[in-house]
Amino acid sequence: MTKEVMTRIIVVTSGKGGVGKTTFTSNLGAALAAMGRKVVLVDADFGLRNLDLLLGLENRIVFTAIEAIAGECRLDQAIVKDKRIDGLCLLPAAQSRNKESVTPEQMKQLIRALAKRYNYVIVDCPAGIEMGFRNAIAAATEAIIVTTPEVAAVRDADRVVGLLEANGISKIQLIVNRLKPEMIQLNEMMSVEDVMEILAIPLLGLIPDDQRVIVSSNRGEPLILSEKTSLPAIAISNIARRLEGEEVPFFDFMAAHNNLLNRIKRFFRG
Amino acid sequence: MTTDSPSTAPVASTDSTSDSPTPEVKCDIQISIKSDDDKLVLKLPTQKEFNGSWYELWSQFKHRLNGSERNWETQSVVNLAAQDRLLDTRQLQEIADALNEVGLNLKLVKTSRRQTAVVAATAGYSVQQEDFNDSLVSVPKKTRKAASLGDPLYITNTLRSGVEVRHPGSVILVGDVNPGGSIIAAGDIIIWGCLRGIAHAGVKGDRQRRIMALEMKPTQLRIADAVARAPEQSPQNLTPEVAYVTPEGIRLAPALDFGKNYTFSPSVKAWENLSKKLGKTPKK
Repeated sequence: MTKEVMTRIIVVTSGKGGVGKTTFTSNLGAALAAMGRKVVLVDADFGLRNLDLLLGLENRIVFTAIEAIAGECRLDQAIVKDKRIDGLCLLPAAQSRNKESVTPEQMKQLIRALAKRYNYVIVDCPAGIEMGFRNAIAAATEAIIVTTPEVAAVRDADRVVGLLEANGISKIQLIVNRLKPEMIQLNEMMSVEDVMEILAIPLLGLIPDDQRVIVSSNRGEPLILSEKTSLPAIAISNIARRLEGEEVPFFDFMAAHNNLLNRIKRFFRG
Repeated sequence: MTTDSPSTAPVASTDSTSDSPTPEVKCDIQISIKSDDDKLVLKLPTQKEFNGSWYELWSQFKHRLNGSERNWETQSVVNLAAQDRLLDTRQLQEIADALNEVGLNLKLVKTSRRQTAVVAATAGYSVQQEDFNDSLVSVPKKTRKAASLGDPLYITNTLRSGVEVRHPGSVILVGDVNPGGSIIAAGDIIIWGCLRGIAHAGVKGDRQRRIMALEMKPTQLRIADAVARAPEQSPQNLTPEVAYVTPEGIRLAPALDFGKNYTFSPSVKAWENLSKKLGKTPKK
């Protein structure tokens, strides 16, 4: 019984597509697993699944969540274990079906069954606020909102926060993804403060923009697992530690960016 | 929205007063919760007033409930005026559960639909079946009186994007209105917070109505039939302001000056600056 209470069911959502939900989910899962937690990532994007690609697990999928729900296979048969890192698992979505093929009630049962065996159930929510969204949030007890410092992304995130609150999910934390310090400095991008002022939810982490994220996605290897450290990888392990209750100070990307070379560059740019 | 001249701080304004009459904006088509003697009446919009999905209606209901939690005593009894809405067992249960969460007890269901009456009776609630046209619910009768407004609505949460509050009276909001959120009211709108979305006061045509906010950064302001946009460049230091109708369109004034210096002139159906009329320069 105590074990059930400890399981955290977190939905990662954003409203807008393409802000980095799935990439963030795969890396967060890897980071938490690296800290010794048992983590299952649930792909709730039926019909447009991607999470398996980012984890490099596509070719190992035999059954999906649909079969598990329909009772055509046991739940543990549908779960794919990541061989690179202990404690990281994936429950893939069906690619051949659409979002209406599952009901929120079925998702709730499925995720509650998973919760008995893991410390974290992290649900990767599809973009939008329709059926797929309602399925993804059905069993969640907390939420992580991923947004980028753009007006459209923040607007959609705001809408989603409102819907989460209406559905009784009150623990909502914010990730601001793809920060570009040089653009914020030139006032060409919303700052983290601007985003926070509108959304008014606690900040869980900041992730800087980095081209290596694309490379790692294409390779199917979460950035966290690569041997070379990178700023996004550090940012995501910090987020994992904050989720675990550790106090980790926010990395000041603006200060790191404000070095002598950049200052000279700015001076000449006028 | 400059603060140096309190009289006609300009909003980039497009006044639609003289244009073709705008269609009437409905403001009494949302779920309402009102106290009636010792109980509360939860009124659902009729099928004609709101034909969206149950999920949309549900979100609206939850938002209203979360935002006005402190307005009633716990363990109050609630009568549900379901009007001509079809409710199934699950939906009725969801309503009862949500009411329970905030310490309210659903007791009676009034409906004009036989099916809903059966569902409610099976679930163990008292049922009052009524003819829809001859409404026994006291709430709609009040709003039908032409000139009088409904009770003010007091809400205490932020209106996020996609949330729309419509009310046939004045609205007092403790919280922000975010971009994409809107308040549409027949009376005044008072926002103890920052207005970033849309506010429409005096929807039924009353040009005397005002919009007040601690911080005015609206997407759009509307009072009766006048519309104004915010200037492209948002001003830096924002003080509490009042938006009101002048013959030239909607203007803003610092809140502290407004009460002292302005009066509504019924002849021109607009607000006038008293200090200006008397030839005095307004105190800065």
